[in-house]
Amino acid sequence: MSDIFPKWTNRLPLKIAVGAAVVVTAAMAGVNYYVTPKYTRVGYQPIQPVHFSHEIHAGQLGMDCRYCHNGVEKSWYSNIPTASLCMNCHNQVLKDSPKLELVRESALSGKPIEWVQVHITPDYVYFNHSVHVNRGVSCVKCHGQINHADEVRHEKSFSMTFCLDCHRDPAKEIRDPKDVYNLDLKISAAEQEKMGKKFVHDWKVNASQNCSACHR
Amino acid sequence: MKTIPPICPEPKVGPKYWRSLDQLADTPEFNEWVEREFPSGASEFNDPVSRRHFVKIMSASFLLGGLGLAGCRRPEEHILPFSKMPEGYVHGVAQYYATARPTRGSAVPLLVKSHDGRPTKIEGNPNHPSSNGGTDAFTQASILNLYDPDRAMRFTKSGSEKSSADAFDALADISKKFQATGGEGLSFLLEQSSSPSRERLQKVISEKFPKVRWFIYEPVDLNVERQASAIAFGQPVAAEYRLENAKRILSLDCDFLGAEENAFRSIRGFAKGRKLETPNDEMNRLYVVEGIFSITGMNADHRLRIRPTQIPALAARLASEILKGSNLTGLSDLAGSFKGDEKWISETAKDLLAHGKNSVVLAGHRQPLAVHLLAHALNDALGSAGNSVVYHSISQANQGSIKELTTALNANEVDTLIVVGGNQTYTAPADLDWSSAVAKAKAIVRLGYYEDESSVGATWHLPAAHFLESWGDARTADGTFVSIQPLIEPLFNGVTELEVLARIGGLNTTRPLDIIRETFQTISPTNFEEGWKKFLHDGYLEKSAAQPVAAKINFGAISQELSRAKSPAAASELDIVFHRDYSVDDGRYNNNGWLQEMPDPITKVVWENVIMVSPATAKSLDLRVLKNRKPDDLKNNDRGVVAGNDIVEVELNGRKVQGAVWVQPGLADNTVALALGYGRTKTGRVGTGAGYNAYLLRTSDSPWFASGAKIRKTGEMRRVVSTQEHGSMEGRPIIREGNLEQFKAKPDFARNMDLEAHTPNAGPIYKHPYNSSPELKSKVHQWGMSIDMNSCVACNACVVACQSENNIPIVGKDQVERGREMHWMRIDRYYAGDVSDPQVANQPMLCQHCESAPCETVCPVNATVHDEEGINVMAYNRCVGTRYCSNNCAWKVRRFNFFDFNKRPNNFADTSKGAFGKLYQGPLAKKEPLEYDMIKMLKNPDVTVRMRGVMEKCSFCIQRIEGAKISQKVKAGASGDVAVPEGTFTTACAQVCPAEAIVFGNLLDENSRVSKLKKQERDYAVLGFLDTKPRLTYLARIRNPNPLMPDHKEYPASFEEYEKSNGESGEPKHEMNGAAHGEKGAI
Repeated sequence: MSDIFPKWTNRLPLKIAVGAAVVVTAAMAGVNYYVTPKYTRVGYQPIQPVHFSHEIHAGQLGMDCRYCHNGVEKSWYSNIPTASLCMNCHNQVLKDSPKLELVRESALSGKPIEWVQVHITPDYVYFNHSVHVNRGVSCVKCHGQINHADEVRHEKSFSMTFCLDCHRDPAKEIRDPKDVYNLDLKISAAEQEKMGKKFVHDWKVNASQNCSACHR
Repeated sequence: MKTIPPICPEPKVGPKYWRSLDQLADTPEFNEWVEREFPSGASEFNDPVSRRHFVKIMSASFLLGGLGLAGCRRPEEHILPFSKMPEGYVHGVAQYYATARPTRGSAVPLLVKSHDGRPTKIEGNPNHPSSNGGTDAFTQASILNLYDPDRAMRFTKSGSEKSSADAFDALADISKKFQATGGEGLSFLLEQSSSPSRERLQKVISEKFPKVRWFIYEPVDLNVERQASAIAFGQPVAAEYRLENAKRILSLDCDFLGAEENAFRSIRGFAKGRKLETPNDEMNRLYVVEGIFSITGMNADHRLRIRPTQIPALAARLASEILKGSNLTGLSDLAGSFKGDEKWISETAKDLLAHGKNSVVLAGHRQPLAVHLLAHALNDALGSAGNSVVYHSISQANQGSIKELTTALNANEVDTLIVVGGNQTYTAPADLDWSSAVAKAKAIVRLGYYEDESSVGATWHLPAAHFLESWGDARTADGTFVSIQPLIEPLFNGVTELEVLARIGGLNTTRPLDIIRETFQTISPTNFEEGWKKFLHDGYLEKSAAQPVAAKINFGAISQELSRAKSPAAASELDIVFHRDYSVDDGRYNNNGWLQEMPDPITKVVWENVIMVSPATAKSLDLRVLKNRKPDDLKNNDRGVVAGNDIVEVELNGRKVQGAVWVQPGLADNTVALALGYGRTKTGRVGTGAGYNAYLLRTSDSPWFASGAKIRKTGEMRRVVSTQEHGSMEGRPIIREGNLEQFKAKPDFARNMDLEAHTPNAGPIYKHPYNSSPELKSKVHQWGMSIDMNSCVACNACVVACQSENNIPIVGKDQVERGREMHWMRIDRYYAGDVSDPQVANQPMLCQHCESAPCETVCPVNATVHDEEGINVMAYNRCVGTRYCSNNCAWKVRRFNFFDFNKRPNNFADTSKGAFGKLYQGPLAKKEPLEYDMIKMLKNPDVTVRMRGVMEKCSFCIQRIEGAKISQKVKAGASGDVAVPEGTFTTACAQVCPAEAIVFGNLLDENSRVSKLKKQERDYAVLGFLDTKPRLTYLARIRNPNPLMPDHKEYPASFEEYEKSNGESGEPKHEMNGAAHGEKGAI
């Protein structure tokens, strides 16, 4: 009587188990890498209707962030400047540049420029700019070195972990509010540690890790 | 290890309350209802959607889902900034504007919140001299009318759409036409108003067109008091009641806490006299004489149940006790052969006299002139004028009634009729035959908020602007001049009353803004521009309140008027009482879903009006109220299975209406109470099919009472949906109350009414988040709330305010019956004592924010957790909808989204269209785009709009808390000043409460109001024996009865009933079984 199962089948269960383990691990690793904001969102850099360079304005010219984003200290929302605000300078500077055609047209007609949104939080997250910038969280912490970016790029992941990392240990990230808009400020880790701890204590910083801090 | 819960105290340890007749009668249906975690039908899928149908729908959904996947990429979103920034505007920061809601003869001063140009929430204006920031349910809900998709949106001429320019041309033509004749044949039919600008325009028009005629019609006319004042004092004066100064209050059918004008202000004054800091504080005492059960009656210390037609006679008897020796005649004639409780009357009179100027008598709008005259005479005799009531002069124009207008119409004296507001075809007295009379006018121009019954036959129909879209002005009860300014351009080009009047008058200024500015200039001419800016900013003109006048009473005129009054009807006849509805007013809020779904404060009925009779009358007429809540029968209800309440036909002088019967404890016997405002034939999607039309029985001679009604059973039955049994708590000492004497003798009585005072504390069975990790507890804020049941009058304002603030959807009548209403806050109403004349106790019930919360322990996904400031929070995007939390909540305050109420079309009041409702069609049914878009504009952007399948509940307005903390931190900057100071913000319910019964604040602040209230001895926790440490605690209710009164009870009725129930016989004796259910034992 011959064997129903040939000899090689003896090792089949082991092969299946190892194969399944590899597939499952690969799938999990894949999901962990590809289906997270770190992969799906970082690097998003859409083409904007007007080629606006933060590098030139904030970097080379040294304009304050708040000249254009003037609601950032008062509102949850950091506003995109109006076309008429652009024209404050551009009615003198580059006033005939074809690149600014759309801006001039918008300022004249009242029709808004359709900027493409880069940074976005989900609708169930109530992020507030004003409380962060007024309490020593600099723009660079979330937006990267935006003052050296020619085009706006999604630099950080904006996942819940990203928020929580800072909320769990704000001392590593906060600085004196007067340096919040100084995006090139370099602080050594030791100095940051010392300064951060002092600020957390003195200002009674309690970066909440509760659901209610962001979800309402 | 299994945790053994503490023994639950059964009724034997606490006072006995009952929330409905069924509960008192202890029917199997009621027991089934309370024993289930969710009412039957709420937790099963037993709707007649067959499995086959379900599979069909699901496969269609999967197909759609598959198609949708093709577009599964990150959507490109755009940001559209302004091209030029409006001045002072910061995107994302809400703005507040001061304005006012005009009411019949007054106004409610307001601050309205606007998000990016959309008005989203109405609040009271706390700076106004006669407001504490409290409002009422109507005001809270009026913002929903702004976004009503059924409102009038077009200008029409004989039904066909025209442009607004055409309409204005037509108005100009009318103006020209009547200029030649001096206004001969031109008539105006208006609503009551307190607007000085309208008064001025009317004067200007009358001067220009001397023959023009003015008529006023208000179906619920609250003005009878002013008519009486004019007679009693010989000059037009308005009475302003200052209840905060009153120690003894007698209401003669006057629902000053509910259905009268300026109720929000009266509640504030009344509640001030009920606040007790210590047992030795003085407390006011309220005597109420009434026929129907009103909010005021629920709050009475002594309530005399009497047929309302007999109140004039009773008032005359009372007056003869107090006015002994005055030269007022006609009292004995008016009292006639009235036989009442003589001791009740004489003791009340004695108590009022003993308090002299600190007592006050109020007469209700339903009562005839004679009662109001007597009230004025009594106030004069008691000396309350100048203290608890003040009078100020008003201007009184000579304007005709709708009866006179009908006569003029029938005599063909009216060529052109301008109808501004109202809905006369629906509300006009039945005997006038209004629709055929009005058809005799050659042209009718109507300004209406809806295209409703009255727009039929109108030559021109103009859409009216909402008050949040209009410029206007008004005077509040104290005479203060208030501004009405728009927060938004008219959504549908609506026009205001002032503009219509100005255009018909052919005036040079027709813009309402200019008209108001002209009026303002006449009232406050100095420093005009600066004054005007301040007027708009503040919302009122400073120091413009009317000066009290010393009015001298004229007994001769009163006696003369009294001699004309009728004596009461025979006792055997059946009386009808019409009353203003707490939800829809006179019908003007008929299409408002928030108000339709707001349970009536007394009956807790939603989405309709009922025919109310007393238990004894129901028994004598053999009217049955059957409950039917077995799942099988519920399923079959629409297929002709007999269940529900008897449908009866009420006949009065040959006119008939049909409606469902409701047995109302506390109603006078032989009295039928009919609420106005329902049964509309042409209304919007919300009001259609709700209730019956009581106006069909109403005549111009007796708008409020009628005798000689007949009731006939039709043999049919219908379900009446009431929330009175939802979340019942089975006789535990949930409400704690005592008489003032008991409180004085034993100030901590409330704390000794439950197990926690008598058993050793074994510690909470649920974990306490701060015990295991104390570092999590915030040292800056710990939030808490206190509700004073002694000053809460159950006006429902908080329920609607919460709905408005927290984006709570309406679910429709059918869903409410299944126990799926979404209100985060409800007011539980408990009866106690004699079934024919019970005492009532009310309790606002919302999430208790337990520290050792039962709900948190059972959540498998940590969707409901504790935050460091003591709030039990919900993370909606974590919730998977197991509903375990709701099952484990002892207070039944959690609400589950059974459907996507925001996306799906609603059945509203309609339960008849088969059992297969629109909600059940899932993604196959979508809300009509206009309705979806308009309701979307109303939503509060700071609160998540919840989807199907998630649990929700009161969050203590977490968005307001976080908002206040953020503002404080922004202010603090580089400093440690992060504690939110007291008074910066409060929750929506506390903000709206005119009684200031709800107080919210920081418990770590020793000086906060809430910390002080929680230290009072009346403070107790509901179900305190569970030791869950709720953050919301209540202050026990104190009644203040007069020991000399014949109906005095040494203890509140709840105690007496407990004694009776647990006394010698051991068995409770309920006399109710027969009345509510018929003696046939039909169940």
